[in-house]
Amino acid sequence: MAAAITGPSWNPLRCGGTMLPVNLLVMAKAIAIALLLTNHVALLPDPFLPFIPGLDLLPPVLFQRTLQVVFVASAFALLFNRSVRLSAFVLGMTIIVSVLASKAYYGNNKTFCGFILFLTGLYEPARGPWMIRLQLVLVYFGAGSNKLLDPDWRSGVFFQNWAVNRLHQPLFLAISSYLPALVLAKAISWFTIATELGLSVVFLVRRLYPLGIWGNLVLHSSMLFFTGSTFTMFFYAMTASMLAFASWPTSPMLVIFDGDCGFCALTKGWVERLDLEHLLEWRPYQSGVGSRYGISDADAAKRLYLINGDRIYSGFRAFKMMVLCNPVSYLVTYTVLAAPGPGDSRFRNIVVAILLVLFSPLFQPAGDALYALVARNRRSLVANSNCSIE
Amino acid sequence: MKTTAAAVLLLFQVAMIVYARFVPSRYFCWAPFDIQTEYRLQVKVDGRELSAKEVRARYRRPQNGTDNRSPQHVMDIVQGYEESYGRGNPAHVVMRFRVNGKEEQVWRWPPQ
Repeated sequence: MAAAITGPSWNPLRCGGTMLPVNLLVMAKAIAIALLLTNHVALLPDPFLPFIPGLDLLPPVLFQRTLQVVFVASAFALLFNRSVRLSAFVLGMTIIVSVLASKAYYGNNKTFCGFILFLTGLYEPARGPWMIRLQLVLVYFGAGSNKLLDPDWRSGVFFQNWAVNRLHQPLFLAISSYLPALVLAKAISWFTIATELGLSVVFLVRRLYPLGIWGNLVLHSSMLFFTGSTFTMFFYAMTASMLAFASWPTSPMLVIFDGDCGFCALTKGWVERLDLEHLLEWRPYQSGVGSRYGISDADAAKRLYLINGDRIYSGFRAFKMMVLCNPVSYLVTYTVLAAPGPGDSRFRNIVVAILLVLFSPLFQPAGDALYALVARNRRSLVANSNCSIE
Repeated sequence: MKTTAAAVLLLFQVAMIVYARFVPSRYFCWAPFDIQTEYRLQVKVDGRELSAKEVRARYRRPQNGTDNRSPQHVMDIVQGYEESYGRGNPAHVVMRFRVNGKEEQVWRWPPQ
């Protein structure tokens, strides 16, 4: 039987046993990681033309230093699982106060980070993350409606100027040279408007959440590839916030594997080492456990199975679920993505592209074929392949 | 209490999204990267033109730059500065700008 999740750990890769659900804590930690790695603390301002009159009467250096100290302390407290709701709340507040204190600092990406962390701090278990989900609805509705009501977006003028004069985007220039003026710009503009307004609706309907998550990831990754920019924190925070829509397992998931295979035992060992929340309970199919779920020994001998409540995954899909339900995957991914800093990064683009492809439903047939190939040859992959259920 | 705080924050944003339909600025209404404003600031104090470094120090914005938001945000900073911190040291500012690559426009402070 898997070990029960205990109290908060000091291990930053652990996310269980706190006052936040695992998915929300992973989301908040991913944003905190990106904030720290992009050295956002250096951007925190002293008061300058504040939105709230009077804030600039405070001593500027003291104000800025206090914000910086509180920002770093709350970000690390969040990472190390210390009073996670309070830490998220305080980290969000430092950003919100910074936004309110300086029109020069103001930016949508910072405001979004501040609001998401603030709302995470207000999380109440009985009510769920409704406020974070509504925040996403508002962001997409505001962005989509503003574009829809802007003549330069409807005509493609904005996008043409941005792609040609500002970004000198080579792919856009190449494709648009074959098309009548503004056609490509107009098409992309309307696609963006439709996607943003669509997402604002999709995120209101629970059964459409997976569609919304994919829409978000494709939209923001496309912007990353097209511009080479994360828009300071926007890419990280918008993609991380999708975790608020993810259905996270609340009890251990059963993994049915071939216990008579050295390669499988080796794989189990690797996965177990990274399963810090003890979310996976491994049982060999030879124990007969599969019959409880209608899985025959012949099927279980061909591929691994993962049971999550009433859902059964097998083969490549089961492996994807194991990765997706492991907080370590997200924390390592956001660390890798944010590590290159705020500038353009081919490395970051490549990592995002690989992840998108690997987890895309379109890759499923290729993933299944690859899995089947490995599964067929698994007994010859590891020397000294021994039976592990003797 | 927590629910109220969250509801207030979300309703504030709804109000700002509506409010943005009636004003040129785009604060707290989720209009990220919706406008490209290329601008150039010419700032004179006591008849002397400020250098790029001095302009940045004064307004915390580059003298020549692109703002990914409404031109009103740059104007708000210049006007806000001149009406508060810069009152004892007033400047004459000419801001030439293009919105989304269209024809150049001019904004001046103080207004004429």
